[in-house]
Amino acid sequence: MDGAAVETPIASSVPSRDGPGFFQRHGHLLLLAPGVIWMILFLVIPLAMMVYVSFWTQTTFAIKPDLTLKSWTTFFASETYFGALLRTLRIWLTVLFLTFLFGYPTALYIGQFVRNKTVQTILLVACVIPFWTSFLIRVLAWRPMLGKEGAINILLQGLGIIDQPIEVLLFTELSVIIGMVQIYVVFMVGPIAFMLARIDDSLFEAARDLGASPMTIFRKITFPLSLPGVVVGAIFVSVMVLGEFATASALSGRKVNLLGNIIVTQVGSLKWAFAAVIGVVLTVVMASVITVLLRVVNLRREL
Amino acid sequence: MNQNTAIRTLLAFYTALFLAFLYGPFVVMAIISFQQGPEGGPQFPIIEWSTFWYQHVLGFAPPSRVAPLPIGEALTRSLTLAFATMVVSTVLGTLTAQAFRTQFKGSGFVFYLVVLGMMVPGVLLGLGMALVSSQFGIDRNWWSTAFVLHVVYTYPFAFLVMLAIFNRFDKSIEEAAWALGVPPGRTFRKITFPMIFPGVLSAMLFAFTLSYDEFPRTLFTGGREVTMPIAIYGTFAVEIHPNLFAFGVLTTLFSFALLTVYGVLMSASVRRARVRATGMQEDVA
Repeated sequence: MDGAAVETPIASSVPSRDGPGFFQRHGHLLLLAPGVIWMILFLVIPLAMMVYVSFWTQTTFAIKPDLTLKSWTTFFASETYFGALLRTLRIWLTVLFLTFLFGYPTALYIGQFVRNKTVQTILLVACVIPFWTSFLIRVLAWRPMLGKEGAINILLQGLGIIDQPIEVLLFTELSVIIGMVQIYVVFMVGPIAFMLARIDDSLFEAARDLGASPMTIFRKITFPLSLPGVVVGAIFVSVMVLGEFATASALSGRKVNLLGNIIVTQVGSLKWAFAAVIGVVLTVVMASVITVLLRVVNLRREL
Repeated sequence: MNQNTAIRTLLAFYTALFLAFLYGPFVVMAIISFQQGPEGGPQFPIIEWSTFWYQHVLGFAPPSRVAPLPIGEALTRSLTLAFATMVVSTVLGTLTAQAFRTQFKGSGFVFYLVVLGMMVPGVLLGLGMALVSSQFGIDRNWWSTAFVLHVVYTYPFAFLVMLAIFNRFDKSIEEAAWALGVPPGRTFRKITFPMIFPGVLSAMLFAFTLSYDEFPRTLFTGGREVTMPIAIYGTFAVEIHPNLFAFGVLTTLFSFALLTVYGVLMSASVRRARVRATGMQEDVA
């Protein structure tokens, strides 16, 4: 690469290792430009616009660029809207905890106990296959599962476990949580299984040779080393659950309103400024969650 | 050791249960798609087994009170959109990942700017874009405002896939080509691209499927002409019918076909690479 490069005064004043040409030195800028420009135009500007509009004045059918805090005070003063924030946080935490609880053992089995790479791949693919069905149809498929005459009630009654059908299964907060856990749990399993599969086997052998019990091995080796996977999974699940509205509107019969649902309703009735306020609230929640999670693990290094 | 076997069995059993949980709704969906029509609803019990709803989806069923899914236009739009998104986001992802192979100032900023695209919830981005377009008088269409957001969403995935590929990539082969005086464009075509092809294929697959199924971003920005997910979302408000489930089964089969094509291309590429490696000497001569 540096065959033709001769020490020139200019090259030596630039802190580069050898004397590469212009393209080698600045080529990355050309490569980066399209992506960065795209993201600034279609990601940063829309988000900035959202923040800006949240301070605009809302009239019945339009918004005017007169700055005001009115939409903000309405949000925090209103029982409905502030309640939606709390409900969103509650459902998010519940789903996050449940995806971890249900996902971890599966990830442990796939990542650590299955040592055959082919079987490992088959099991992971088996987890991903349901994703080939449209997300919305997967959500709707929970209705005939959970309903009063749904598959679960038929099954439980058939087995004689219950006499009366369980009615709280559908169109409640519970059905939203069940639906979300099933849809998002795979995003927890994948990263954890990936981290577990990377652990060197000799580590376990050494621990066993030194007389560590399976429980100690799990506590001292397996779990700490799988933590980056847990964090990445938690980021995936959090991002998706916090911005959710379809599962809630399909499985709760519009009884459970998350922040996402309120944004959709407000946009539907052209309350742009108000939708923007909720959008900013959601962004702040999301940003703090991700920041905290990224404190625990460096995403770039784990790649 | 004995204790270990017990744990293994227990976990295997648990994993089986877990998979049943994942597949449960899917199985129920497949069963109900064979519900009698057009009176039969999307619930148990099955009144009579029939393929009515499949005919309904494909447009063969006699007209009834259940409106047909707008398969023709909506599906074409969704596939076109997914294809365009796939091409653009894979190109952008590859370019950016290529830039990340050398260290540069501000790489952390660019990394998080790009990754932000997959982290921001769709509903926020859709809202932001809708605000921008309504304030600046830009028309909202699936091929304009919705398309750019689809790329914002899928480009980070393509970028991360390509970054992972380039991380495992032996740079010295390219350097050898440069040293022998091969121009950069030709080096990329002849050396770099064949080596990163499997990654490019995965990135394309990611982008296509994510865009095809995308709806929170499209909801506010897609305009009047709906894509398939928006058409399905539209049925949420009114009654749902088993035709959705029949459609779900059909699209899943379609996805499998797509996955098979991907698998075949992938293994062909691996095989070709092997053949090329063994035939390299004749090539050079």
